[in-house]
Amino acid sequence: MDVTVFAQQIANGLVNGMAYVLIATGLTLVFGVLRIVNFAHGEFYMLGAYITYFVGTLLGIDYLAAAAIAAVVVAALGIAANKLIFWPLRRDHEFTILLSSLGLALLISNGGELLFGADPKYVDSPFADEVLDIGAITLTQQRVLVFAAAVVALIGVYLFLRYSRFGKMMRATAQNPDGAALTGINIKLVHGYTFALACGLAALAGALVGPTVMIFPTIGNWAVLKGFIVVIMGGLGSVTGALFAGLLLGVIESLGGGYISLGFMEAIGYAMIIVVLLWRPNGLFSTARGLR
Amino acid sequence: MGHTVGMAGGVAALCVLPFLAGNAYLEHLLALWMLYALLALSLNIVIGYLGELTFGHAAFVGVGAYTSALLSTQLGLPPLLGLPLAAVAAALFGLVIGYAALRVVGPQFTILTLGFGSILYTITNNWVDLTRGPMGISDIPPMAIGPMTFTSARETYFLILALVLAVGFLCHALVNSRTGRAFLAVRENAPLAASLGINVFHTKLLGFVVATAIAGLGGAIYAHYIKVITPDIMGVQNVAALIIVVIIGGRGTIVGPILGALVYIGLLEALRVAGPLRMVIFAALLTGTVVFLPGGLVSLWQRWRTTHKADNNLPAGNGVPSAEGGAE
Repeated sequence: MDVTVFAQQIANGLVNGMAYVLIATGLTLVFGVLRIVNFAHGEFYMLGAYITYFVGTLLGIDYLAAAAIAAVVVAALGIAANKLIFWPLRRDHEFTILLSSLGLALLISNGGELLFGADPKYVDSPFADEVLDIGAITLTQQRVLVFAAAVVALIGVYLFLRYSRFGKMMRATAQNPDGAALTGINIKLVHGYTFALACGLAALAGALVGPTVMIFPTIGNWAVLKGFIVVIMGGLGSVTGALFAGLLLGVIESLGGGYISLGFMEAIGYAMIIVVLLWRPNGLFSTARGLR
Repeated sequence: MGHTVGMAGGVAALCVLPFLAGNAYLEHLLALWMLYALLALSLNIVIGYLGELTFGHAAFVGVGAYTSALLSTQLGLPPLLGLPLAAVAAALFGLVIGYAALRVVGPQFTILTLGFGSILYTITNNWVDLTRGPMGISDIPPMAIGPMTFTSARETYFLILALVLAVGFLCHALVNSRTGRAFLAVRENAPLAASLGINVFHTKLLGFVVATAIAGLGGAIYAHYIKVITPDIMGVQNVAALIIVVIIGGRGTIVGPILGALVYIGLLEALRVAGPLRMVIFAALLTGTVVFLPGGLVSLWQRWRTTHKADNNLPAGNGVPSAEGGAE
């Protein structure tokens, strides 16, 4: 076996995996704090990529600024979605919440098709064509950026959850919403901002991955599926679990695609969750309730 | 009594309907209606009776469709034999997938079924040697029972109608049987059901396998009627369509999925001019139904009947408790 090729596959897998982690972190935060399994999460990823495209390519704004704008705009959309749909339904049965998030997902993806057209778009980035050599491994600068920006964002989220006042409020709400409310925490505010943070992360992932692929209005389906696989494998509500499971999925897909078959690459990833779940039905990092 | 008369009237109306349609296109729509009703009835066993949401149901429809299509085009097997084999193949997939996925409940189960559905879709799309990949399978022979062939829409309509009635009756008998009551007990409160000696896992697995078998049957009939199938039959759009049908019609009932299928097919045609806006409207309908009418269209009738009865039996103004005095 060629070591260089192997190392290249691992590097590619880690980059893809890091994007999965960004998507999955939002999903797992929303589940941990709001107890919502949000099927519309991938659509915020799609909106992130499209807003970057429109702001960057059409208005001529710098790519990095466009990505930041996309994250902020989508975070605001997340606040609106939470206020209109999920907050009023918070006491309803999980069945109702699941179905309404499916409805929202269909609404956004088909609305996107209506507004943006079904033809593929290409997000411009100054880093997309520049190549970086790290030892024997070759990556485009954009893919290095995906990894680096994701690491920075995740460290930021970790520090925020761990040390900031608001992060502590989020963790308290995740552990026990009623108890948190009794100590004077504004649950409504926590729900709103958690949802905004999750959507912002999804949009950031979309903005970062966008230049490495073609974007369609239906990429949200793909994103939410990857995110869910990671979240289920890591354990619902576990941020640490999402990190490990995301990187693992990325690397396994990449190796499977490189050494077995590119077409079945995705199926290999899905098959992985089955193996994990037969062994640990609640995921690798599942423990009691709360954010970890 | 009134119930039986209503049922008989409904069945009679369904039998006469294609003769009133007048043209082949409307008959085609009627056949599609019945097909979606059959598939929705099978999905309803999982969503309505077991109380679990599955996002993988279209994959089993696809397994049935591909099984029967491949058997008839590759091996030359008569479609009549392919039909039960399609159901068996889908049920086998349902058994394996249900065995793995039903270890978890609620949202996790839903996500797992989505994952399994995607595996089957990816395999179908990429195993070009067997399934011809995205090109799909064409020239599938029509359904035939002995000398009778089901080529036209009207013939197919009656074939599927018979199956819909059979499955509807099966569901009716099931709900009133010991097994069916176990289904509902598991839906309402799984730990309590387990404490009464019901094996929750086996009960759910049984329901899931029956549902997937019927889905496979429906898929096979679809393949022999439309004569062309592509992996899209397993796609997310089809999953969403089936869920929309069950929820809009009314889950946990027999009339609900049939009614929902009528609304779906009807609106799909009526809104054809609207193009991509169609799915946006369906998504809004789904969300609206879930929030404002959780019981679906069927519950409108029940709601009307209860208020109607209350008006008849009680003196006006006193019977209905005032809205302000509630537990809010």
